[in-house]
Parts: sequence; C-alpha cells; structure tokens
Amino acid sequence: MSSAPMTRRTFVRLAGASVFAAYPAAVLPGTPGQSDNPTVPRALLRVALAPCPDYGPDSLAGALRTGWRTSQPPDVGGKRVVIKPNMVDVSADRPIHTDPRLIDALILHLSGFGPREIVLAEGTSHNRDAEWLFRRSGYEALAKRRGIRLVDLNYDDIRPVACVNPRATLLKEMSLPETIASADVLISVPKMKTHKLAGITLSMKNMFGILPGMVYGWPKNTLHWNGIPLSICEINGTVKTHYSIVDAVVGMEGHGPIMGSAKKVGVLIMGANALAVDATAARVMGVEPSRVDYLAMAHKIKLGSLRAEDIAVDGERLERVRTDFALDPEYAHLRAPRG
Amino acid sequence: MTDPRLSRALDFIKAHQNPDGGWGYEPGRRSLVEPTSFCVLALLARGESAAAGRGSGFLRSCVKSSGAVGIDPKDPEGSWMSYAALLAFHAAGAAEDERRLKGWILSFEDASGRFTKDEIAIVASRYRYDASIQGWAWTPRTTAWVEPTALVILALIRTGVASTEKRIKSGIDLLIDRKVPSGGWNFGNPYSKSYELEASTMSTALALAALGAAGVPKSRPAVAAGLGFLERALAGDVSTASLAWCLLALRGYPGAEAAIPGLAGRLARLQTEDGAFRGNLFETALAFLVLSDAPILGPSPREAP
Repeated sequence: MSSAPMTRRTFVRLAGASVFAAYPAAVLPGTPGQSDNPTVPRALLRVALAPCPDYGPDSLAGALRTGWRTSQPPDVGGKRVVIKPNMVDVSADRPIHTDPRLIDALILHLSGFGPREIVLAEGTSHNRDAEWLFRRSGYEALAKRRGIRLVDLNYDDIRPVACVNPRATLLKEMSLPETIASADVLISVPKMKTHKLAGITLSMKNMFGILPGMVYGWPKNTLHWNGIPLSICEINGTVKTHYSIVDAVVGMEGHGPIMGSAKKVGVLIMGANALAVDATAARVMGVEPSRVDYLAMAHKIKLGSLRAEDIAVDGERLERVRTDFALDPEYAHLRAPRG
Repeated sequence: MTDPRLSRALDFIKAHQNPDGGWGYEPGRRSLVEPTSFCVLALLARGESAAAGRGSGFLRSCVKSSGAVGIDPKDPEGSWMSYAALLAFHAAGAAEDERRLKGWILSFEDASGRFTKDEIAIVASRYRYDASIQGWAWTPRTTAWVEPTALVILALIRTGVASTEKRIKSGIDLLIDRKVPSGGWNFGNPYSKSYELEASTMSTALALAALGAAGVPKSRPAVAAGLGFLERALAGDVSTASLAWCLLALRGYPGAEAAIPGLAGRLARLQTEDGAFRGNLFETALAFLVLSDAPILGPSPREAP
C-alpha cells in the first residue's frame, strides 16, 4: 500500500468545486511552514465536546447550539447543505446508525441560519435496500416531516473527479454522487463506533458512504481492495467535509460497526476539521489516535492534525468524558494509557 | 395484457425516456444500463418496439470492445449491470451483442483466483465462507458476492445457458456456501468472527430466484431455510423492489407463492396515480414484469444440477 503525499498543487487542480477539499497546507498546524518557525502562532483547530445526556430535543438543541458556537462552524446561510449520517445497516436492538433525533435537531439548528436547502444523503454499504433502511431508520419519516430531500447516494447521478493523490490506482478517478459534488456545505454526522476492519469509525470513515454502490459495489469492496486507510485518506483528501458532528450520546463498542453493544457517552463532538474531530473522539473512546492507521496516515499527509497540542477542545474536559470502549482483541493495541 | 394499471406503468416508462434512448433510475436522471434494460424488457413484453429499439440503441452504446457492458457509455469497463443488458439483448433478439456479452460474463474474473491460501484461511476463519469459490462481483477483479452472482445466474439461465455450465454450477455453490445458518442470505458474509450476521430480504429473494431458475430443489436445506426466512420477512415491512424480487423467487418453487397469499395485490397497491412505483423507473419496470407475469424475466425451472 502506498501512502503518497498529497501536494498543494494537486489540491489546486480541484479548485472550483466548493465541496472538493482545498486545504491550504500553509495554514494547517504541523506543516513545516508553521512548526519550523516558532514566531508564527499556531492556528489551533477547535473541537467542541458538548455534553448531551440523552436524545431529548432540548438536550440536543442545547448541545448543538453550544458546540456549534465554539468550533469554527461553516457559514450555511443561503447554501445547499448536505448532511451525511452513518447508516451501514439498521437494527432494532443495536445502535448501528446515527440517531434520527440528532439529525432532526441538526436540521432545526441549521434552519435558523437560512440555508438554501438541506439534504439528507446516504449510500448504504451492506444492504442496498435503501427504501427499507430509510424507513426502518426513521430517516424517511424525518425527511417527510421536515420537508427535505432524502437521497440514496448509491444510485445518484455521478460526476468523475480526479483523486487528489497523484499515485492513486483504484480510486484514480472517483465517481462522486452529484448530490455530494454539488454541495456547498457537507456535514458528516457519524455514530461513534468500534470497527472490525479499521479499529474505530468516526467522521472520516463515514465518508465511505458517499461513494456510490452502483460503481463500487456493496460493501464498497473496491475500497477494501484499495486498502481501507488509503481509501479513507483519498476520499477525505478529495472531498472536503466542512463540519463533523460525532453522535456519541450513545455509541457502539465491541464488534462494530454492526454487531457491537450500546455504550453511553453523553456528548457530541463537533468541529470543522474531520481529523481533529476524529482524534478527539478517539481519545474520548480511550483510543490513542496515532495508533489508528488511517488517522496516522491522514495526519502525515496533512489533512489536519491529530496532535492534542494542535487542537483546542472546548466544553467538557476530555478526561471527564473519557469512556473506554471495549475493543476487538485485534485492536487492543489502540488503547491509550490513562493519565 | 389489458390491465389498465399495467398500461399506466408503461405510459410512465414511455413518458420518461431520455433523448439518448435510455432511462435513469428516476425521471430526468442520466441514463444507466440497469433501468434502461428493464424498461426495454417491459416495453418488449407489450410489443412497444419503437421505444424499446431506442433503448436498445442506448445499451449498444455501452458495449465495450470486449463485449462487456458498463453502467453507462463512459464506464471504462464491464460492470454488474451486464446481467440486465444480457436479458434485454436476448429479449430484443440482438444475437451478436448477446453472444459477446455472454462470453464476457462467462469469463468474468472475480477475486477468487487472486486470494492466497493464507487469505482464504483468514476469510474462512473470520467470515466462514470459502473465498476460493468463483462467482460474480459488482466490479471486475474484486470479491464475489451473493447479489451479483444471483443476478448473473438468473440472466444466464434465462438466456439459455444450462444450469450445468461450470460457472453457473460454481455460482450456485457460492450461494449455498454463503447462506446465513439461521435462514436466508445477506450481501455475502454469513458471519463476522463469532457473530452470525442477519439475512436480508432482497439478498434472500435474489439468491432464491437464482437457485429456483437453476432448478435447485426446495428439498435442499438452504432453499427451505431461505423460503422460511422470506415467509417471516414478508409478514413485515418490505420494500417495493424486494417485494417484486420475492414474488419472482417464490414463483420458482411450485406452491411457494400460494403459501403467502395476496403478495401480487400487495405489490400492485404500491403503484401511484402516475402509474409509477415509487417514482423509480427500474422499480416500475420490474413491478410491471412481475405483475404481468412476463416470461421475459421469469425463471425457467430445470433439473437440479
């Protein structure tokens, strides 16, 4: 597996489509331009740890309001906003998918800023029966109630986009759903979970679901053949997630992303940089982010930073909300020491 | 066929043909091979040859030099949607396109030949299936899964390939091997380590439709358990496409549809005023074909391999 560096030049090639990643390397923490010059103040990435004890509408609205304010949120006024939840499958007794009550509260929250349109979009990974999954997850009823479009990304019109990684092979030309490619603001709203093939799954891994099944198959097997860490980095390097909200009110531990058990944490983790949000969420789970292959790779290619010293955490103190998730024995090495 | 409801479905299809002759999954969307193929099948079943001919023209624009068919004309290589194109070429009498596509499908390379012995052992231990069994994948050179294997078997048998053909036999072996122990099929992982994964309605319906078309009898435990799963699933909420595939699957096993009465009526009631099913052209064509019992898609029971 190669981990080719993604250069500014290759990012610039993609300029012009607002959702495509265009991380100006010079302003990212940890880049040579900053870390080598101690006189230049480091621009901290802001992440909010917003307490949210339950899925009640008041709890969610309060947490979103507080977290949003302190975590460099995108300007959504007049914009087309696409919300990408995580719905690899749906189960009556396991919290596999992002809770629809959080999505509902987010829609109400965003509506206050006057977006042009809000769209809820997902491309399920295992079961391609989206009609049934959307109904069973509660997303269909939610979309109807709020009058927003619900899009099955697996069968959306597609737009070819050059991968930001010049050495990419299987994802050299990515087929992106038009709904994603034409979004002004993309918000990733994953469920906090352990993952049998990636260790943990949060905002960056959630982006597997934007690639359409009709091109990449179910369970997006092309991405597995490409290598999971590399695929996560190539997707997140090419498609910019403008904001992430990790549903950690109740997460899933053990044999995720499907067969694990509910784990209550009671926070939302929010921020504009997906890597910083994921690194903070990993710490909440009792996981050392630098030991997670794809987070380490994303840090190395400067998709943001996973280093605690580059991230300003607002809201709850991380150590107070740290809730160690049971890890698959294969990923026991990810555990962060306490203290 | 004079049922006015079915005529309305055809009208919906005809009204939303794209200028390039094809259809997208929804009106106004770009033409793709799967919805176009099914719309062509529906039109041919009704003798609507002009619109079907334009649809076939779009399908021919998706044929590669290898005979493969991509998802659309720009797709650089063959795709899982080839199963649908094969059905359409056969129904349209496009013998040369059918022959070349069939050749590509029968020589389709999945990942089974690429796995090392160690990888096969890991898959056997983690997911409890035999990764060396050849089937069909969603995209070339990746892992074979239940649904593309089932769809291709359905199309090959419908177009006259014997169920004893070695690739079909291997595909049947794959389906049997990937069954979920408590009944039915999912996308293709019966287990994840010690956890049995749940079956799903659509995957089970497609696997059973393929096994029925290939003449695998109800007496086979996997088939009986799959039919039992479908019966339980059909007692609850089922999607439009799954319901249509379920009907097709049950028709492959004598007496199975009658054992769950009212399914065709249940599907018919999902049709909306405009003649569509869920506003989706593929699903409208599929429902039309199933409700009109068109032989163009139905299984052809054969002797057990």
